[in-house]
Amino acid sequence: MNAEGRHARRPERDTFDRTGAFKGRATEEAVENERFLRPYAIDAGTAEPDIVPGRASGPVDLDLLSLVVAARTPGPAEWLRPEREAILAHALHARTVAEIAAEIRLPVGQVRGMVAAMIAEGALQRCGPSRPLERQDILHAVLVGLRSL
Amino acid sequence: MASVDSENRTGAQEAIPQAVKIIVAGGFGAGKTTLVGAVSEITPLSTEEVMTEAGYGVDDLSGVEAKSTTTVALDFGRITINQDIVLYLFGTPGQDRFWFMWDELAEGALGAVVLADTRRLDTCFHAVDFFERRQVPFVVAVNRFDGATAYETDEVREALDISAHVPVLMADARERGSAKDVLVRLVTHVIDGRRPALSG
Repeated sequence: MNAEGRHARRPERDTFDRTGAFKGRATEEAVENERFLRPYAIDAGTAEPDIVPGRASGPVDLDLLSLVVAARTPGPAEWLRPEREAILAHALHARTVAEIAAEIRLPVGQVRGMVAAMIAEGALQRCGPSRPLERQDILHAVLVGLRSL
Repeated sequence: MASVDSENRTGAQEAIPQAVKIIVAGGFGAGKTTLVGAVSEITPLSTEEVMTEAGYGVDDLSGVEAKSTTTVALDFGRITINQDIVLYLFGTPGQDRFWFMWDELAEGALGAVVLADTRRLDTCFHAVDFFERRQVPFVVAVNRFDGATAYETDEVREALDISAHVPVLMADARERGSAKDVLVRLVTHVIDGRRPALSG
């Protein structure tokens, strides 16, 4: 392959010429680490490749309180993806992304990525409130609710 | 290939509440999780966010190899207000360097509680600044710690340079009644602030 010259793909390490040897060495470590990445991490990474942790990004704009609900029962798409299966199991009723993350004990950023991917493929559905309320009405209801605690 | 599945919607029939949030901020150890736990209907849940340190102030993101990651714990509780509204209380990560999470937490929040620890008042400066800048309505609750010198709310107000319209109140984050009073005071403050000013 390499003998073919112009058809050969540039090996990845060639892209490090700007910063030199240090990066090359770090890459070795990264490659080593990569072998131990759990599937969900790869999963989440593909859903939101440019994710900045803590910020809503990607095609589906999810925040901590975005509500999702399972659109189907776990199926072949969840085989070998226990994290996704757990998300479906916890989203039988509408749940927030934050609650799902806490319940399945995974970082919320990763869960956000997986949830976004699962919405995209139709396993989860996003849901809005049945009765959307005005901010002022919410505040008054919250006040009443808090007072009666 | 994949058809849109419109008829088979698990859970689509149930009433879905609106999720709203209040932020509980303050320095590390100021009692945020304690306050959340005092009023939450569930044991506060904890999730974490993995953040990439090199992602901030470093332009070259072409490789992941030089990034180191830190996890930030995020605790929250829940209060079901009625069938239409569920209130979440989020404790902010204590360390200042996790600002990126504050931005998201503040987005759409009804308001915020800044818990002040009189032994380390300076630890809540950042929170006060942040909410003022983001125009998130807030109250300052001075958490009473055993063995701490008792301060008057006015002293705290002065020390923190808080404007006169921001409520400052004493609280005991461990007490449900006290934590509840803080939240009630906050929501009252938010409602008052939203009312069009009558005085010209």
